[in-house]
Amino acid sequence: MLEYQNIFTRVQVRTQPEAGLPIPDSLMGPGRLGKGMFGPLAYWAGKFGDAQIGPIYLGTTGLLSLMFGFLAFEIVGLNMWASVGWDPVEFVRRLPWLSLEPPPPQYGLKIPPLNQGGWYLLAGACLSLSIVLWWIRTYRRARALGMGTHLPWAFASAIFLFSAFYFQPLLVGSWSEMVPFGIFPHLDWTSAFSIRYGNLYYNPFHALSIVFLYGSAVLFAMHGATILAVSRLGGEREIEQITDRGTASERAALFWRWVMGFNATMESIHRWAWWFAVLTTFTGGIGIILTGTVVDNWYLWGVKHGLVAPYPAQNVLTEEQKLELRGRYQGTSPDSFPMYNVPVTPAAPAMPDSMLPGMTPAPGAAPPATPSATPSATPPAATTPPGGTK
Amino acid sequence: MRAFPFARVALLGFAATSLAGCKYWKSEERVTVQTGYRGTAMEHTVKKSDVMAQFAATSVPEPVPAAGPSPPGPLPWKNVQVLNDISVAEFNRTMVAMSTWVAGTGNCAYCHNVVNFASDTANDGKPLYTKLTARRMLQMTRHINGQYGQHVANTGVTCYTCHRGKPVPQGMWTFGDGNQYQRHYLDRDGARVISHEMAPSNANRSSVKQTEWTYALMISMSNSLGVNCTYCHNTRQFASWQEAPPARVKALHGINMVRDVNTNFVAPLVSILPQVRLGEMGDAPKVQCQTCHQGVYKPLYGAKMAKDYPAIWGRPDWAGTPFPGLYQTAADSTQKVADAAATAPVGGR
Repeated sequence: MLEYQNIFTRVQVRTQPEAGLPIPDSLMGPGRLGKGMFGPLAYWAGKFGDAQIGPIYLGTTGLLSLMFGFLAFEIVGLNMWASVGWDPVEFVRRLPWLSLEPPPPQYGLKIPPLNQGGWYLLAGACLSLSIVLWWIRTYRRARALGMGTHLPWAFASAIFLFSAFYFQPLLVGSWSEMVPFGIFPHLDWTSAFSIRYGNLYYNPFHALSIVFLYGSAVLFAMHGATILAVSRLGGEREIEQITDRGTASERAALFWRWVMGFNATMESIHRWAWWFAVLTTFTGGIGIILTGTVVDNWYLWGVKHGLVAPYPAQNVLTEEQKLELRGRYQGTSPDSFPMYNVPVTPAAPAMPDSMLPGMTPAPGAAPPATPSATPSATPPAATTPPGGTK
Repeated sequence: MRAFPFARVALLGFAATSLAGCKYWKSEERVTVQTGYRGTAMEHTVKKSDVMAQFAATSVPEPVPAAGPSPPGPLPWKNVQVLNDISVAEFNRTMVAMSTWVAGTGNCAYCHNVVNFASDTANDGKPLYTKLTARRMLQMTRHINGQYGQHVANTGVTCYTCHRGKPVPQGMWTFGDGNQYQRHYLDRDGARVISHEMAPSNANRSSVKQTEWTYALMISMSNSLGVNCTYCHNTRQFASWQEAPPARVKALHGINMVRDVNTNFVAPLVSILPQVRLGEMGDAPKVQCQTCHQGVYKPLYGAKMAKDYPAIWGRPDWAGTPFPGLYQTAADSTQKVADAAATAPVGGR
């Protein structure tokens, strides 16, 4: 068993490929595709998992899922390519920044034209359908093998977070809230989403999600390391160790008991892992759905509930100044960005400059704009009071 | 089989990276300036060599020798509409400086009809757009120096602040695809997206997409000044003025100034500029933070050029305090400026 002490897999099986149980026919035809093989890729496959590749079974849902997934991928990719004028070099060079954007805010929840986010909604629908079909496939395969359905339900938790990015825009009433398809654009979205809603770090469900995410990583490292460390004693045979506890299991347990006074068991460590993984996306999804629907500014929520550390003010402002400095919101459509129409050049104020030589400027021409201490440039009030001057 | 010396190799690697890291983080290369309360990471970090290179690349022209004695009385020339409150010698000196700053030394003909310097048209009767623009820009410069002390302080601006010896300054923008956010520099005053209240309401329906427009606007400022977000904001709550560094107040006055300048001085030039100077949508080039700052938190690293040119301030007796410009010398407007200065919010000098 010394081979197992290495952190990379050193033992690989080469034998007759395992064909699996007989299965009914599907859209893909009878049975599975291929007979399974230890082909040219078997060495590298064996480094990471089972050296046998195939046979493949997609079934009706798997096939449809891949088709819709491909459709979504194509819509996104072709839109990105179109956005650089079908230039293949530019497409590759700027790929990380290219994006298929959701509809602009003025459409609300209406169906926009294809080039104003319509393609985005189509791609999103195809992607969602693809993911749901793949979920059905995992559920049905788990049932077919007489397994529990832990895996589909864990996957469902991830889908819940994914669909939260649909539910939240539906609740807020604007497609424009949705996540763009693109490498950097979707990262920019996370930043903008957090800023818009007053800093997501003060969202307690975001915090919980991070706890479970980081916790998952720690648990994964602890469990993986523990099992590798006792594999010389047969510890990698976890299922046998659950039902018939051996010295590997006992030593692993003792190690953690010595280190931190408590140990999971061969069985319960997998419940820890499952719950941490499931709760990462589940709490995250709740956090997204509450944002903009129940809480619009998480920082202010944090102030109210004592979450925000108080620091001395950098500026001392009167109530009046605070009111002035508030400024205006971006606002709703049609008075909102982004604008696609050509802006109208503002009416030129009276120019004192003469277009003719020798002309003298009119006195008092070109009144300068009133210096405004407020961020809003409201038109100056009428200069002549009612009743006129005497 | 001899075991691979994992531990030794790992230790060596760790030591090497730590040493390299220390050299980087502790070196004089990095300069960090604290801009907020301790322990909140409110700081501005620059790479010294970058700043030194940028500083070296920034040249400030020597001031033109001070004006000598002039004959008494008004200017002997016709059609002087802006600089008619200064002496003859000061006038000539200012013209020489302007040619260096904008058109290239001694190149009077860039703006003037050399047959008749007073004329606003060329010999063929076509308007001299360069002269008309220069006149408007002089009014603008006096307006900025007189009205925006909250932003330009007693450093002020000159033609050179933007032009840097070239007829068209860097960083001018016109409308095009993908820069709609710059409209905030012209006639859009609402860039806020973060709610002032905890609970959602119809008062703020700004979307995430609109937030990205504001974000783009902010990044354009950040790039223009060569600073990061925390230079003006406490990033734990971008909306908070109370937690923001005072620089944000200064920037607010700058935004007001840019909007004023674009609306009243620069955008209206569309009627006199030739087609070649206009944008693809036919609008005049407009200014933004970059136009003056050009990547530096203070344009020209705060070099005080304007103090040597009283004509730029609009008052020949200027002695360190901004005065209103020429067309602002009427008693009522002077009073208005004084009132504005007295009631101005924090951030001024």
